[in-house]
Amino acid sequence: MTALTCTVLASFTTPMRIDTNAASMLWLIPLVVAIAVVYKATKVHQIRARAFAKETALLIGSIMVFVTVAALILYGVAWLVTEQLPAMAGGSVF
Amino acid sequence: MPRTWKDNHALFLIVIGLLAWVVPGGGHFALNQRRRAIVILVTVVLTFLVGLYAGSIGVIDPVNAKPWYVAQLMNSPAVFFLGQISASGQFPVFGRAGEIGQIYTSIAGLLNLLCIVNAIYTAHLEGLKGARA
Repeated sequence: MTALTCTVLASFTTPMRIDTNAASMLWLIPLVVAIAVVYKATKVHQIRARAFAKETALLIGSIMVFVTVAALILYGVAWLVTEQLPAMAGGSVF
Repeated sequence: MPRTWKDNHALFLIVIGLLAWVVPGGGHFALNQRRRAIVILVTVVLTFLVGLYAGSIGVIDPVNAKPWYVAQLMNSPAVFFLGQISASGQFPVFGRAGEIGQIYTSIAGLLNLLCIVNAIYTAHLEGLKGARA
């Protein structure tokens, strides 16, 4: 019991190994779920399991779609600036 | 004996706000909104713990990351004591895990702030109803 407690407590004293890659973006999902659940919990008149789950899922979906669209637009702008603009200018624009 | 019902009402709002801060969902629980309180408690505490697990308790940094610390404090006064422990600097925090831990714990705090404001507003509306009745 003491060993288990120590192991659990120790796991909170050293950071996880998370690489800086595209997969690390998946950490966004639990955060979006938490935001949607708490926001809906403060907004709905009464919490009924099915209706609450439906509204929360809708909000999670909307946020995910918006974030994806924003990411695609930003990726497109970055691609234009770093790949296309230098080629048009015949070298580095900076 | 309070002069008007508002004197009592203000104290009531302060108590609800404090309860909501001390235990996430505590304000709603005191207002007899048990389901709402449980949803808030589970979600805020889980988000905070995931942040601590990902980045270690070093993400609570009252010395070098004050703006994040203020947001983290909104979780509960208990964060203050965690901040005292981590202020010694013996808990490593670095890289992506540190960023994610800081974001999770701070967002959990801001979500709890939303719940504190909501609990106070709900208590205020209930107080108004009680005064009219």
